[in-house]
Amino acid sequence: MFARKEAYVADDLSDLAKRAAREIADAADESALEGVRVRYLGRKDGELTTRMKAVSALPAAERPAAGAALNAAKATIEAAIADRERVLRAASLDRSLSGGALDLTLPGRPVRLGRLHPISRTIRDISRIFLGMGFESVEGPEIEWDYYNFEALNIPAGHPARDKFNTLWVAQDSAVALSLARTAAGGATARGGDAARDMGPMLFRTHTSPMQVRIMEQRRPPIRIIVPGRCYRFEATDATHESVFFQYEGLAIDEMMSMADLKGVLYSFARQIFGGERKVRFRPDYFPFTEPSAEIAFDCFVCEGTGQIDGGRCATCAGSGWIEAAGCGMVHPDVLRRVGYDPAKYQGFAFGGGVDRLAGLLTGTPDIRLFYQNDLRYLESV
Amino acid sequence: MPTIRVPVSWLKDYADAHGPADEIARQLHMSGTEVDRIERPGGGWEHVWVGRIAKLEKHPNADKLLLATVDYGEGREKTVVTGAPNLTEGDVVPYAEVGARLREGHGAGWLTLEPKKMRGIVSEGMVCSEKELGLGEDHEGILILDKSVKVGQPLADALGDPVLVLELQPNRPDCMGVVGVARELAAVQRVALREPAMAKLRWDLDPDRLAVRIEDPEGCRRFGAAVLDNVKIGPSPKWMQGRLIAAGMRPIHNAVDITNYVMLELGQPLHAYDADHLRGNVLVARRAHGGESLRTLDGVDRLLAPDVLVIADGQRSLGIAGILGGADSEIRPSTTRIALECASFEPRGIDRTAQKLGLSQQSAASARFRLNLSPELVPLALARAVQLLVEHAGATLAGATEVYPKPWHRPNIKLRFSDVTRILGVELPREESVDALKRLGFQYAESGDTFVVTPPPIRTDIAITEDVVEEVARIVGYDRIPVRVPDGPLPLHERHPLEELRERVRDLLVGFGIQETVSYSLIDPAWLERLAPDGAPIAPDPIRLQNPTSVSQSVARPTLRASLLDTAARNLKHRDGVAIFEISPVYLPRSGDLPDERWTAAFLLSGRAEQQTWLTKPRDWDIYDVRSFILGLDRAIGIGPRGDRSTGVPGLHPGRSVKVAIGDRAAVAYGQLDPRVAERWELPEATFVAELDLHILLEDLQRPSAVVPPRFPAALRDLAFVVDEALPYGDLVAEVRGAAKDLLGSVTLLDVYRGPQVGTGKKSFALRLVLRSQTATLTDAEVEKLTSRIEGRVLHKLGGTIRG
Repeated sequence: MFARKEAYVADDLSDLAKRAAREIADAADESALEGVRVRYLGRKDGELTTRMKAVSALPAAERPAAGAALNAAKATIEAAIADRERVLRAASLDRSLSGGALDLTLPGRPVRLGRLHPISRTIRDISRIFLGMGFESVEGPEIEWDYYNFEALNIPAGHPARDKFNTLWVAQDSAVALSLARTAAGGATARGGDAARDMGPMLFRTHTSPMQVRIMEQRRPPIRIIVPGRCYRFEATDATHESVFFQYEGLAIDEMMSMADLKGVLYSFARQIFGGERKVRFRPDYFPFTEPSAEIAFDCFVCEGTGQIDGGRCATCAGSGWIEAAGCGMVHPDVLRRVGYDPAKYQGFAFGGGVDRLAGLLTGTPDIRLFYQNDLRYLESV
Repeated sequence: MPTIRVPVSWLKDYADAHGPADEIARQLHMSGTEVDRIERPGGGWEHVWVGRIAKLEKHPNADKLLLATVDYGEGREKTVVTGAPNLTEGDVVPYAEVGARLREGHGAGWLTLEPKKMRGIVSEGMVCSEKELGLGEDHEGILILDKSVKVGQPLADALGDPVLVLELQPNRPDCMGVVGVARELAAVQRVALREPAMAKLRWDLDPDRLAVRIEDPEGCRRFGAAVLDNVKIGPSPKWMQGRLIAAGMRPIHNAVDITNYVMLELGQPLHAYDADHLRGNVLVARRAHGGESLRTLDGVDRLLAPDVLVIADGQRSLGIAGILGGADSEIRPSTTRIALECASFEPRGIDRTAQKLGLSQQSAASARFRLNLSPELVPLALARAVQLLVEHAGATLAGATEVYPKPWHRPNIKLRFSDVTRILGVELPREESVDALKRLGFQYAESGDTFVVTPPPIRTDIAITEDVVEEVARIVGYDRIPVRVPDGPLPLHERHPLEELRERVRDLLVGFGIQETVSYSLIDPAWLERLAPDGAPIAPDPIRLQNPTSVSQSVARPTLRASLLDTAARNLKHRDGVAIFEISPVYLPRSGDLPDERWTAAFLLSGRAEQQTWLTKPRDWDIYDVRSFILGLDRAIGIGPRGDRSTGVPGLHPGRSVKVAIGDRAAVAYGQLDPRVAERWELPEATFVAELDLHILLEDLQRPSAVVPPRFPAALRDLAFVVDEALPYGDLVAEVRGAAKDLLGSVTLLDVYRGPQVGTGKKSFALRLVLRSQTATLTDAEVEKLTSRIEGRVLHKLGGTIRG
């Protein structure tokens, strides 16, 4: 009985090893090889496994020899399988490399590309560039008091400079109720201002400049801010004018900020937004809330200031070689005084430019109305 | 901004200017006088020459036509057919060759000359009228040039006087006159400035001939007048007419032309009356009497409001002061005595009245008076006009008179040289600063570092140090200001949580593949009535504009939804699907204050989401795309709206929309557009919108906190629960979460099944649970215990059973 058993365990081991070796060598692919492995080494009833389980039934004295023989056979088979596996894999890889070419001119699955609107993108660019020069981006209300939009900026009612700012007003009946409530509650006064200040009627801000005043009321110098935002004018629309549009405003106040600093900041801005060695041109202009005032222009980044492109007129600068970018100047002492700054101590500059115009230049958009029509065929192109 | 037209030749009368018109324009432009453009009358005059009528004969086949042989130099001769009545042999005329571009004689358009056969004879070009050349309106006859004009030269060389079209700033009324512009040019070019010739006025006018009186000293600051006798009314000299035309005015007769000419020169308007038609020998500046009316020069009868300033004689008003004269006291061909009025008015009163009467566009006088013209111009303009009336209308001066109750004093401005450096950021040589001011006509005194300047009498815009510094900078050139990067103290910056959230949402929506739009914040109020099936408002009453540019932009939008629907509808005309978003404030009225500008993010999905390709099947957007994006926003920035969740959003499908409100304000609302609303906007039924109030979301933002990757393996369990059809999935998940507590890593809904295997009125949710502990590997027993707790809880709370 015992001899029988022993014979069974160790018997024909060399025959088994030979059979296994042959079958491994014959396995044509990895799944066939896996079949061989299961047949001999399978956990449940692999031929070799079954014999190894039987070792425990042998007399103790015989067990070590039988076990050693079986383990040796197992190692041989495992090594043969691993060898064969490497060969099969290499062959399969060879086949795949030599015959597995795919047509890579075929398109993939369509990707839906979300895009920022050119106006948003331009505002981000502007804010980022000025942030690098220490300017903090702040925002303010689009619907404003006359006081902030005009009065505090030296443009009282009846001032001929109001011609430049054709204003859209909040309807009387909306405003009357509001102004009554305002008087009764004494509510609508500027922060830091005197409580009795008359804020005047309500309007759609014609520029981002009211934020100059609001920020100066709230803070003390040094100040460096940039204010992007939507503005409104009563204006017929054409390729370069919109009644609803975006501006960016800058303000810098400390004890020595001069026109040279203003020029430097805008010059640096031009280099960063248009690239290259830009030229900057200052010429006198007039704004009631700055003195001296200037208009700043940069040499055209498309024709490099020549006004000519391919022998024709440069469309970007209309042949002038210059791109007028912003109105600017030194903050008027009266504006400083009104917010409680001593003009003998503090001075600084302000500037304001059109986001739409900049976005138009940067994207090559010929008509700013395209920004607000939101034709996706256009938006997906820029 | 006021626009004026200045012929260069006129400018050169007063400034010894050099250089071509382009250079003059550039210099003016760069020193602050904005040149909009240069107009050259010869601009369109290619192929137009100065010719001489060598021979004039009758057309053989037509009584009213003539054959003119034109010699235009260098032996060139052409024959033209003309019907002009005013030609004689030897006349010097403009001759246009074939190919010239001219105005139409009988129309407003343009034409290019071609050879034309007229009654059998070919006309090779033509001789031109004023109108055809764009010089005026006269098309009665051919423009006859002076015989001294050299034949054979281009007409542009003979007649072309470039005109600078200036856009002036409202603070520079002195440049409303040619002399003011000449002063600028002379200062920039460092050349001499000449004053126009002026008569010496005798202020001894006999009060019986004419007295002047100011009854409204607020409205009229200075009132001067002169009386002239022996005036002969007739046409003004050709050169004067030419300049008036070039400057954009119509010549009428010498008296009126001279007042206009002086206005164009000095900026100061004047008015000429027939002295014999004045009653009471007096000119009064006063407010209109109650019920007073006046027929103005434009033939309109106007009832004058009592606050209107008028110029009157002893009996009635003669004109609206500073704006428009009356028809009655007009100069007539028979006039021999003229009373010349020249006054200084308060600008805002003039502006208000001109606007009220709708005359602000037409009146050249009010365009000037509404700016702060110097009162010092009154005697100057009077003297200049008298000079010209004597020269060109044979007049003799009877005398002048004026009242000037409160003379204006020019300011004396004290400043330091260091102020120039402080403001401009560049140190200019003293002499240069001083020289610039002197050339502009400033008076100047110096004492050590300080100096005192007084602006020239015609400048009303100079009051403070900064004004003077600007003058210096303008003339030495803004180019002298260096470029410097500021190195002063940097301010402390603030944090801006709302803007941060807004930009994060913007980036995420772009990342989801949605296109950003920016649309008009002013919309058509009718849009708001189309947002709910019954027309009921979905948002508060909007803020309305007092003076909208059009109905389509007459209210400030209280919601972004209408704009998105409009954008989608317009785009769906040429594509089959859209995914768009906008982030913008909406404007909500607030009592007693500026409106509440609430930053809102809204997106819209409509129509086709994915196209058929060889790899993908076509599909439309559906409500669960909206859910994906909302949940995506939550995962990214924790906007997961907590608050009261309720089904049904106004304007959206009642069973397919939801909002989460905090208090009475919806933080998030989304769903399918009500199909009836979709139809009104011509949108597909499958149209979905979502709106997020960023202010509310910001208050309750729960930023995702950092998760350390788990150290212990997870166990996966798939469980299918059979529940009542009415039970929302969210309730089931809430119970599962409640039961599993922190051992639940995630839940995925694998499948929703309805059918015979679960019975009617029931549905099955197949969930895949990822179970794991942060502190140990879960044993099989623990996992079993957990799943049976989950199953027990679902059974107990929701009556849900485990399927299969």
